[in-house]
Amino acid sequence: MSCGTPHDDCAKAIEAVYLYLDGEMDDADCAEVRAHLEDCAPCLREYGLEEDFKRLLARKCGCDPAPEDLRGRVMTRLREVHLEITTVEFRTE
Amino acid sequence: MVDRVRCPSMHLLRCAVPLAHGGGTPAAHGGPVRSAVIFATTATTVARSVEVSSVEETLEQRSERFERTALPFLDQLYSAGLRLTRNPADAEDLVQETFVKAFAAFHQFEEGTNLKAWLYRILTNTYINIYRKKQREPQQHGVDEIEDWSLARAAEHTSVGLPSAETQALDHLPDSDVKEALAALPDDFRMAVYYADVEGFSYKEIAEIMGTPIGTVMSRLHRGRKALQKSLYSYALDRGVIRPSTQAEGAQA
Repeated sequence: MSCGTPHDDCAKAIEAVYLYLDGEMDDADCAEVRAHLEDCAPCLREYGLEEDFKRLLARKCGCDPAPEDLRGRVMTRLREVHLEITTVEFRTE
Repeated sequence: MVDRVRCPSMHLLRCAVPLAHGGGTPAAHGGPVRSAVIFATTATTVARSVEVSSVEETLEQRSERFERTALPFLDQLYSAGLRLTRNPADAEDLVQETFVKAFAAFHQFEEGTNLKAWLYRILTNTYINIYRKKQREPQQHGVDEIEDWSLARAAEHTSVGLPSAETQALDHLPDSDVKEALAALPDDFRMAVYYADVEGFSYKEIAEIMGTPIGTVMSRLHRGRKALQKSLYSYALDRGVIRPSTQAEGAQA
């Protein structure tokens, strides 16, 4: 259970918060962090805040659908490029 | 835990795409970068850069493969383009240019490797070549100081330290506030934060996309996130979503 007070290894845990949340830690280090969080309410809270913040950004900034005609315009340009390539091929033959 | 999907190996990113210095940047003559600049890559230029001697795949087959595998990233690339350029017209042009360059280099891309990261690298390089080179030109020296200054500015209207208010309260902010706060971050920090938190790329992938060491990515992520947090708490205070010196209740004050 959490005792609610900071521990000696809190600095290490806080330093690692992004590595942990970003999935950049190996299994052993993850287990160490989880063990610390089980015992340390302040760090658990900090981890929660940072995780919420990460999710907030994904929710608020991740979804701007392209204009409907953009795909068509991309396709048109690609066809032009395709045509150019075909023409270059033809001329060099 | 944050949900995220790990992409497969992306060693192939290192090959491909003569973009880093390519694509024409005849832009830099003062004034805002205009959309037309992006179209510096003509079809002929692209045609020359494409090797048509591939024996195992015809041009038609390559086109079909490109349309099937790369084009589905259009919406995602547009979103990223919008975060990079900060305006819809330039984002559309950037996406178009990205697809043209990607198609030109597609014969170098090995199917089964990390196509998404490969496309993002092209997008990022194209953006850097066309926009940022121009913006940074008068600021060759002291980039770190400029970034520090910009980061401070991005977070400037905060009147509190790093508050401990519940982050959930920030959910009450309109999307436009969060996008605006992100847009205020300097390029390198904005891209690192966006690629990690929104796109879910790993540090290694971001390092390859941005062409920087992993340590630099980590530093930018850390500083960018902290600046963004301060900025968003300021927005939340302004909107009354949280109150100064009290814990947030997640409701209007």
